[in-house]
Amino acid sequence: MTSPELGSGESKLETVVSYILIIGVVISVLLEIIGISLFYQTYDNVQISQSKTVFISGMNFFAFIIDQIQHLFGSQSAIMFMTLGLIILILTPYIRAISSVVYFAWEKNRHYVLITLFVLIVLTASLALH
Amino acid sequence: MVTLLLISVAVGLIGSLTGLGGASILTPILVFEGFPVKEAVACGMVAIIATSSGSASSFVKERIANVKLAMYLEMFTIIGAIVGATITVLIAPVFLYFLFAAFLLTSFINIRSSFNGTYTPPVKQDRLSRWLGLEGTYYDQASNKVVKYKGTNSILGGLGMFVAGIAAGMLGIGAGAFKVIVHEKVLKIPSKVSTATSTFIIGMTALAGVSVYLFTGLLNLTLMAPMAIGVTIGAIVGGRVLNRIRDRNLKILFVIVVILLIIQMLYKGVSAL
Repeated sequence: MTSPELGSGESKLETVVSYILIIGVVISVLLEIIGISLFYQTYDNVQISQSKTVFISGMNFFAFIIDQIQHLFGSQSAIMFMTLGLIILILTPYIRAISSVVYFAWEKNRHYVLITLFVLIVLTASLALH
Repeated sequence: MVTLLLISVAVGLIGSLTGLGGASILTPILVFEGFPVKEAVACGMVAIIATSSGSASSFVKERIANVKLAMYLEMFTIIGAIVGATITVLIAPVFLYFLFAAFLLTSFINIRSSFNGTYTPPVKQDRLSRWLGLEGTYYDQASNKVVKYKGTNSILGGLGMFVAGIAAGMLGIGAGAFKVIVHEKVLKIPSKVSTATSTFIIGMTALAGVSVYLFTGLLNLTLMAPMAIGVTIGAIVGGRVLNRIRDRNLKILFVIVVILLIIQMLYKGVSAL
């Protein structure tokens, strides 16, 4: 049963957000499964590696996405799929943050536009500034 | 990776049944297996995003979570998670063992408080809570009644969630038990709304923590991938069988698991001194 005081608008937001999250996590898990399968094909084992190539380090998240797209087929495919899975996993709650701002702006709820915008700005800054 | 995947499925299942969450159990297991604690914490944080997003289907079905309350509290938890994750990157690993064990103790507080009976709304709502519109209703299946509720003490609740965020970011866990305590004891939100809203917040808090761990060189893709897959599958299966298992059995399982995890982390901490 839908909570009457939440109103149909917020229920719609919840539904849209839920589907974004579910679709995101399903795609991500599938990419990780492909990544592990390719890892097995390449190395003939599925040992957890401590090699430098399996660790993520370096640039900010958004530059990292662009870099991955540019080198989509140039890098080792197992690592590429695992990295793509990670990127999509991280993007799902981030898209949730964006959709919340858009929803409250559309509803003209200034209080919650400010609150959701604050969350989005902090997350963006934290993802971009490292 | 296959062994870790299977362990992660089991852990996701137990984590979902006991309400502990997958990462709280998996991190001590990884540490026991000899993985560096910081690496385990960073990968645990990614697994939390996966389980939190995976459990989003329950929002669609039940609609108990209070979206506005979640949005307001996220402001505090994400800042806390960024601070917490930054502390973890900087401090010596030995502190993490003891902090992990200490934080697991907070899980016991909820065992009793979750059976307090009927919900009584606060007599007076403070100005900020009114401004934020922290109220709502939900249908309680157990009592077959529509429960009306109001939140209060928003500032104090926000500060409590900041602390929960620090713990989540530092230890790579959801800190769900602590968040529920803040919701129920400080914000005066009913237990069911509190648990559902907490699940909503956990994913966003984990994203904030991951934003710090991403480029510190702690995120091992071959460790993260099987964890994320396994814990997500386990959590989905756990959510489906949850109603079929007797409550008393769940509590016993919960107590055993938490005690074992605390002993394990304390042992590691003492060994590392």
